[in-house]
Amino acid sequence: MTGELIKIESKRLGDCYYKYEHKSGLTILMAPMKGFNTAYTMFGTAYGSIDTCIKTAENGEFIKLPEGIAHYLEHKLFESEECSAFERYAKTGANANAFTAFDRTAYLFACSDKFKESIEILLDFVTHPYFTPETVAKEQGIIGQEIRMYDDSADWKVLFNLLGALYHKNPVKIDIAGTVESIAEITADLLYDCYNTFYNLHNMVLTVAGNFDMEDVIKAADKILEPAKDFYLERAVCDEPDSVVENYVEQHLPVSVPMFNIGFKGKTGTEAENFIGSVLDEIFVGALCDDYTKVYRELYDEGLINATFGSEVFCGRDYISVLISGESREPEKVYARLKKEFEHLVEHGIPEDIFACAQKTVYGHYMRSCDRVTGVATSLFNCHFPGVDMYELLEAAANATPEKVIERIKTTYYAENSALSVIKP
Amino acid sequence: MIGTLNRKEIGKGAFINSVKEPKFKHNRITLCLVTPLEKEKATVNALVPFVLRKGCKSCPDFTALNKKLAEMYGAILEADVGKHGNSQVIEVTLLLADDKYAIGGEKMTETAANLLWDIVFEPNLDENGYFPQIDLELEREYLIDTIESDLNDKRTYAIGKALDLVFEDEPFGIKRYGYVEDAKAITAKSLADAWKELVEKARIEIFFSGPGSADAAEKVFAEKIASIKRSPKEASAAEIVDYSPFKEAEESMDIVQGKLVMVFRMGAPKTGHEKNSARVLSALYGGTAFSKLFMNVREKMSLCYYADSHFERGSGIMLVDCGIEFENREKAQQEIIRQLELVAKGDFTDEEFADTKGAIFNSLGSVGDTLYSIESWYMSGILEENPITPEEDAAAIKKITKEDVMKAAEKAKLSAVFFLKGGENA
Repeated sequence: MTGELIKIESKRLGDCYYKYEHKSGLTILMAPMKGFNTAYTMFGTAYGSIDTCIKTAENGEFIKLPEGIAHYLEHKLFESEECSAFERYAKTGANANAFTAFDRTAYLFACSDKFKESIEILLDFVTHPYFTPETVAKEQGIIGQEIRMYDDSADWKVLFNLLGALYHKNPVKIDIAGTVESIAEITADLLYDCYNTFYNLHNMVLTVAGNFDMEDVIKAADKILEPAKDFYLERAVCDEPDSVVENYVEQHLPVSVPMFNIGFKGKTGTEAENFIGSVLDEIFVGALCDDYTKVYRELYDEGLINATFGSEVFCGRDYISVLISGESREPEKVYARLKKEFEHLVEHGIPEDIFACAQKTVYGHYMRSCDRVTGVATSLFNCHFPGVDMYELLEAAANATPEKVIERIKTTYYAENSALSVIKP
Repeated sequence: MIGTLNRKEIGKGAFINSVKEPKFKHNRITLCLVTPLEKEKATVNALVPFVLRKGCKSCPDFTALNKKLAEMYGAILEADVGKHGNSQVIEVTLLLADDKYAIGGEKMTETAANLLWDIVFEPNLDENGYFPQIDLELEREYLIDTIESDLNDKRTYAIGKALDLVFEDEPFGIKRYGYVEDAKAITAKSLADAWKELVEKARIEIFFSGPGSADAAEKVFAEKIASIKRSPKEASAAEIVDYSPFKEAEESMDIVQGKLVMVFRMGAPKTGHEKNSARVLSALYGGTAFSKLFMNVREKMSLCYYADSHFERGSGIMLVDCGIEFENREKAQQEIIRQLELVAKGDFTDEEFADTKGAIFNSLGSVGDTLYSIESWYMSGILEENPITPEEDAAAIKKITKEDVMKAAEKAKLSAVFFLKGGENA
């Protein structure tokens, strides 16, 4: 190994991972985990569905991209002139997949054998695009069906309707796969443009967790990766107002009980601020309505919510929101009650016992993710682009205080900047 | 590469199973009540775990119970019902950090074992021996919503409908959460009776996995079990029928994508070898991203985003499903049938065959890497009365030949087709 291997430790957990800056420009993060049998590997880029307007060194001015192109590119990258990456993985037994999210795309595999061969396939196919008009056309039918599948999914619609109510301009409100009409505009040339812009190793990361030899990872990178060109990219800044578009949105779909998503829209900070802040937001939303709170109990006993009720913090490069979801025959009442409690907590602070429950629950959640190879590789991947060390999230939970949490909520959220999305039968 | 199973009888029809796995930071303890799956009792039994989750004598208040769990570093308590073959399984699970991560040196494992016992065996009953009325009412409503929630996911809904066609009155066809009409008829007395019968007669299977000491948990459970009255009854294994007459149905709904589900009877696999042949067949046919269905129905014909097949060990059927444009139904159905016929004729390479097995070996290799998969792996084995290790299973898969797979494909008979199409709701 030529480069330097930097060790990053968590004293609290007794765990560690290693960072390696490869000469090609790629950052490699590795967490060997003793006793585990599989290795989970992710290779990806800071490019997702929200990257719809960009300026590069070559084109000089902002260009608009068709909605859904990042996801389309993810599908097409699996093909080469000879055969698909799936056919190559078939020889190693690895279970491979990929996903496109709002602000990133990842290619991944899990294997319990033939790690060396599998990681070579991954690095190779992701760095060797092959698009022709014929192969691009062929995918229209497949992705068209993926879009239709989501059009029928109430879970998916209730979320995107909410995002549409929360965000005026931020492209986070656009469906990740685009529409049947928008993907019809995609051409092989356009895919190459996007590929050459975003799939630059300086804009990418490779993470591996579980049972593997670090030397094999670096050797594969040495063998396959070419030094990347300098990376220059400007993303269009959307000046998203703090306010929401509307407070209520509904749609009728065949479902058994009405479903709802409630969103409290936060002011975005830098990507790192959003990530670290999201841990405090998780503690806050726990104290607001997790199953040990008075509000949860009241809503439950009144038959307004059931065991499907839950919350999460939705955050990324330039967006952050607290989301609460569930089923209810009277979602307006749930929304009103939560808004009131939100304001009450901000004004009066979080009671000590409730804070302890919320803090320990969030802490336990981050600790549990360290118990799985998928959890560790995913955390490493997600934390890389904001420039956060994976254990910082656990530390943020451990070091939180009720005052810190309330201070953060006061400066980031305002209960009125929220919306309710409902799917009715 | 997976810890060995340690199985012990600790009382009448009561067993503790443990797997030591030092690499994890958590322990997982599950208490299962295993009872024969019967249509009349399925619904009321399904309600039992929901009311048990609300509290127990030692911690009667639901909010106080949740607080207690949160304080144990966000321990997770789950109570649900499942089915395996013709057994109904009421499962209550606690997942919690190991003692060595407790800041104050608390003995959490022992506390957890006691709590788990209390949840299942010492519920919060009133003077009549009934569950609190409010819990009965709320959880009965939730049970009804859960039964009906199949509708929310169209893929699940269509699969359920196809299985209804094929199983009709066989025990495999009994719904996991039961039936709305039966749920509405549950009373305080019928619920209390169902719980009493379960704790007295169901087989108790406790599963402990993680870095902690199973001995501490075993001690707690063994003492408790000795203190209650038990008269367990065993379920006899359900018979898998060879074939059933072909049935077909369709339904309209206000949707944009059609869901096609096809169920094949496999001619009642009698031996483990026959079952494994069907497993390999299903993987080769539609279980991987290089399978016949993926490569043809999706990649070549661009008809769908997913076209999968899977073999259900418990009931011996193979299920194929895909999401398509409404007008492509015939085209998709014909191609799905044609691909199976091709497999039966041996139209697959040695390479494809070896790669399919490789994919199965890879997934067997990952069983030991989460507490959940370790528990479900061994619990399935225990319920099938043959708990083997993933390595032993891989050795059995290795023995399957190309001819075995062709024979399994030949025996497969299309028994039901269900199609969910667009239009006005039926």
